[in-house]
Amino acid sequence: MDTPLFWPAHIKGRVLYVLDETLIPQKVVYIKIRTSAQAVRVIKTMKTRAFGQFLVVLNTFLLEIQFATKVTDTQLLRRLQAAAKALNASRPTFPFSEVTGIVIRWAEEAHCSGGDLRSTVQRNILGYMEGIRRQRLDRVARLAGLMRDGDSILTHCNLSGELAMAAALCRREKRKVQFFVTETRPYFQGAKLTCWELKRVGADVTLIADNAVASVMSDALVNKVIVGSDRNCANGDFANKIGTYQMAVCAQEFHIPFYVLTQPSQKVKTGNDIPIEIRDDKELLVFAGKRIVPRAVKGFYPGFDVVPHQYITKAVPIHVK
Amino acid sequence: MLSKDQRSYILLHGVPEPALFDKFKACKVKACVIPEGRPDLKAAQVNSRAMLKRGMAPVLIADNMAGFMLYRSMIKEIWLAYQVGDDHGALCDIGALIYAILGKKHGVPVYGYPAAEKRRFIGKPQEIFCFCQKRIAPRDIHGYVPLLEWVPGTYIKRMYE
Repeated sequence: MDTPLFWPAHIKGRVLYVLDETLIPQKVVYIKIRTSAQAVRVIKTMKTRAFGQFLVVLNTFLLEIQFATKVTDTQLLRRLQAAAKALNASRPTFPFSEVTGIVIRWAEEAHCSGGDLRSTVQRNILGYMEGIRRQRLDRVARLAGLMRDGDSILTHCNLSGELAMAAALCRREKRKVQFFVTETRPYFQGAKLTCWELKRVGADVTLIADNAVASVMSDALVNKVIVGSDRNCANGDFANKIGTYQMAVCAQEFHIPFYVLTQPSQKVKTGNDIPIEIRDDKELLVFAGKRIVPRAVKGFYPGFDVVPHQYITKAVPIHVK
Repeated sequence: MLSKDQRSYILLHGVPEPALFDKFKACKVKACVIPEGRPDLKAAQVNSRAMLKRGMAPVLIADNMAGFMLYRSMIKEIWLAYQVGDDHGALCDIGALIYAILGKKHGVPVYGYPAAEKRRFIGKPQEIFCFCQKRIAPRDIHGYVPLLEWVPGTYIKRMYE
C-alpha cells in the first residue's frame, strides 16, 4: 500500500506539486511550485523534508528545463547552475550539493559534447528517480523482513512512507507488529506524519512524548528501534532529526537493537564533518502564534544530531549512484 | 542562541523546590538549560519564571535536544527534581532516565534535588494528543503518557534533601 509521504512531490504539466507535510493530519494539500525560488522556500520552511527535499531538488531542474524554451544551451546551463546554487544554500545538513552536483555534471557533459542538453538531463533525472523509487521499494521489503511477529518498534520523526509500507506488508502477512512513535518536537513529525500514515495502513500505533523513550525501553515495551537518516558518512556515522542520538544511547544502554535506513555516501568522512543546522528558536518558543514561555526566555534549536556508527546494530541502505 | 564553546551549562529537569534556584544564584549560575517537559510544559514555565525572578537566564530546549548538547560538551551538570529518593535511586519526572543515561555516557555528574510537588504516575492519552490545547495527533491512535520514572542510584552522583 502506498502512502503520499513515500513520493511527496511530482510534476504535472508545468507545475511541481509538493505535499505540504505541515498540514497533515488535518489536510492533504499540495503546494504548487513554478520557480526555483518557490522550491527553495518550501524546503526552508520545512513544508517538505527528508525524501521530499530530494524530490523537490530533482523536479526543480525539470521545471527549469520546461520553462527554458527560448534560451540557448549555454543559458540553460547557467540557469541550472543558479538553481543548484540556491538549492544548495537552502538548508545546511541535508546533502543538497551531492544531488545537484549529479545533475549539473550531466548538464555540463551534454553541453561539452554538443549533445541535446534538455533531453539528456530530463531523461537522466527521470531515470534516476525511477531507480530511486525501485530501490526504496526494495528497502521497504527488507525493512518488513526485519519485523517479526510480536515485535514492538520504537521510531522517531518520519521515514518518508517506508515504515508505513513495511507495516502494511507485515499486516498482509498476518504478522502483528506494534509501533511506538515519539511526537518529535518541535514540528511533531512523529505525531502528525508517522502516526497518521501508520494508522492509514491499519497498524497499531501508540504516541509517546520524546521524553518517554528511556521509560518504554526500561519497561521492555519496545524491542527494536528503527529510524531514518538525513545524511550519511563514509565511516557509518549519520545525522538525523534531533533526538535520534539520545534514543541511540538509551537503546545501547538497554541492549535494544537499533536500525537505521541509510543512503551511503563517501563525501563526508565522519559525523563531526556534518554541518548541523541551528534553526530559529521561535520555532520552539512559539506555537500557533503564542509563546509557550515568558518573553525573556531564549531557546536553542539544533535541527539534527549526529549518531556515531558504534550505536548502529544494522544499517538498511539504498545505493544512490 | 548558544554557541559550541559555551561549555558551562547546567541542565535542570523537572520542577525542583525553589531553594535550588537560590542555591544556583548563590553559586553565581548565569544560565540554565531547561527541557520543556511534555506533556504539560510545567517545567518550562515554572523553572523559567523562577530563574528570571532571580536574574538568571533560562534557555529552553525540547525534550529531545539534551543529547545534542551533551554530545557537544555543552553541559557540565545535570540536576533532576525527584519526588522520592534514597541510595537505590530516585522517582523523577519522565525524561530523567534519558538525562541520567546521557550523564553517565558523557561523564557529566547527575544530582538529585527534591521536587516542588507530587505528580501522578501516568497521564491521560489526550494529554499527548494535544500541545497547548491544540490537537496535533490524528484520531484513533493510542497514547501512552508516563509522567514519572525510576532512575537507579548508580546514575546519580549525589542526592540532596
